[in-house]
Amino acid sequence: MSTSAPALVLAGVCRRLGGRTIVEGLDLAVARGRVLGLLGVNGAGKSTTLRMIAGLLAPGSGTVRVDGIDLAERDGHARRAIGYLPEEPPLYGELSVSEYLAFCARLHGVERAHVGAAVERAIERCGLGEMRRRLCGLLSKGYRQRTGIAQAIVHEPTLVVLDEPAAGLDPVQALRLRELVRSLGEAHAVVLSTHALADVVASCDEVAILHRGRLRHSGALAALDDDRWLRVRTVQAVGADDWARLDLVAEARVLDATSARLRLREGSAAEALAPALAALGWGLVELRPEHGALENLFVAIAAEEDAAGKAA
Amino acid sequence: MSTIALIAGNDLRRQFVQPLAWSLLALVGALFAWQFLVAVDAFLQAAPKLAARANAPGVTDLVAVPLLRNAAAVLLLVVPLVTMQSLVGERRAQTLPLLLAADVGSLRIVLGKFLAAFAVVALVVLIAAAMPLSLAAGTALDLGRLLTACAGMLLFAGTLTAIGIACSAWTTHPALAAAATLVIGSVLVMLDIGARLRDIDHALINWLAMSSHLEPFLRGVFDSSALVYFVVVSALALLLAARRLDTLRTRG
Repeated sequence: MSTSAPALVLAGVCRRLGGRTIVEGLDLAVARGRVLGLLGVNGAGKSTTLRMIAGLLAPGSGTVRVDGIDLAERDGHARRAIGYLPEEPPLYGELSVSEYLAFCARLHGVERAHVGAAVERAIERCGLGEMRRRLCGLLSKGYRQRTGIAQAIVHEPTLVVLDEPAAGLDPVQALRLRELVRSLGEAHAVVLSTHALADVVASCDEVAILHRGRLRHSGALAALDDDRWLRVRTVQAVGADDWARLDLVAEARVLDATSARLRLREGSAAEALAPALAALGWGLVELRPEHGALENLFVAIAAEEDAAGKAA
Repeated sequence: MSTIALIAGNDLRRQFVQPLAWSLLALVGALFAWQFLVAVDAFLQAAPKLAARANAPGVTDLVAVPLLRNAAAVLLLVVPLVTMQSLVGERRAQTLPLLLAADVGSLRIVLGKFLAAFAVVALVVLIAAAMPLSLAAGTALDLGRLLTACAGMLLFAGTLTAIGIACSAWTTHPALAAAATLVIGSVLVMLDIGARLRDIDHALINWLAMSSHLEPFLRGVFDSSALVYFVVVSALALLLAARRLDTLRTRG
């Protein structure tokens, strides 16, 4: 096992299915201890990419390396270094949670003597303690997802691949799942596919945006926030000209009479804006960072491609 | 081997926590018991006349072997029910990715599935064999012939099971897999009968027919060429199933 190699490297990965190009020229790398969010609208090629990473589907061209080993070499170590949760958790409804996890552990090569400890660890990390004897077929949606994640980590893989883990969960379940994914990122490399921006913002260190099978953006999530916008709401109606007169503000976009999006000038601090607005007596009731850079980028990529498609 | 046993064990456990396997075994057991009692009754009525004849057929010829021959016909219906969920069931329940993503070759997955299904089918054969064997407490049985017939029945059942697994790998619905297994099994069993009805007695057709290979075993002859036939057909079916899983890995 190579410790210096990134946990996952995709190089020039292409895949066609049914005569259609699903993924084209995909290059990605994820290091251990990082969570990568793979964003894309439905049909962008996320699930196909994840299936290739999980070794379920062979790439048409290019290579997928896990722990430095090409999956095409059918090396046992590379396969065992992956934990995969498909879109629908692969649960056997007739087995209890602990029976199911024990089977998964053995299937992924955990030695019989260590299966009990591995199952307990996975149950504890995924918060399944009360459900250990419950049949998988009787679990709620949230616990089904948790059990699916538990089977993906029960053999302590280097790389955990999660396909839309928060799909169909209620807000509380989704929040807990994001915390779980965040904690997985401390010990594993995690690739998370989603079309929900909130999942990426809450759980990921890096983001890759796929659109129509092509990688359109890749980088650290924090880098997107450098050029952050602020959302401001006041009691009084404030127009665009009023905002433009403020020295701190580089650009203002009025959303309605009392709300606006502001971008501060280089070197201006957000904390200086609050006293300035208070002094003006406009009745400041809300001032918060917008975190909209990712959303703007995502929407821009989708819109640009759609416009290109219509033009063609 | 351990992965094959693991998959087989998991499948068996899942089969026996559901009512299908138990119900199937209970119903088949009841059917065999009824046939057995009818055959024993008929034998007891004919016994005085048989005692007067030299080289008269015994209880093995008149009760045990006919019961096993009937069991072969029952297997044609039972095997599709046992195998229909095997691989297509995993695909429909979306659990197949768990097996495909693990470090387990396609043939190992198929062999695990085969062993689990065969264990249930073998129980059907053993139930059929246990009834005439119970007569050993009160009469003399031709145990050699009975064991040979059981071995033939197990080979026959194994071949049908392998065909069922292949059908389960290549179809997209359990009912379709069951229907395909029933049709292929029936054609292979009745191939020579159909040909003879059309006055065709061709060596190849006779060789292809499964019944012509089962018959020597029921007569008490351990036919090694029949053994080769059953092993070859089973291996071909299982390789076809593994090929299908390989295709799923490469083509999606």
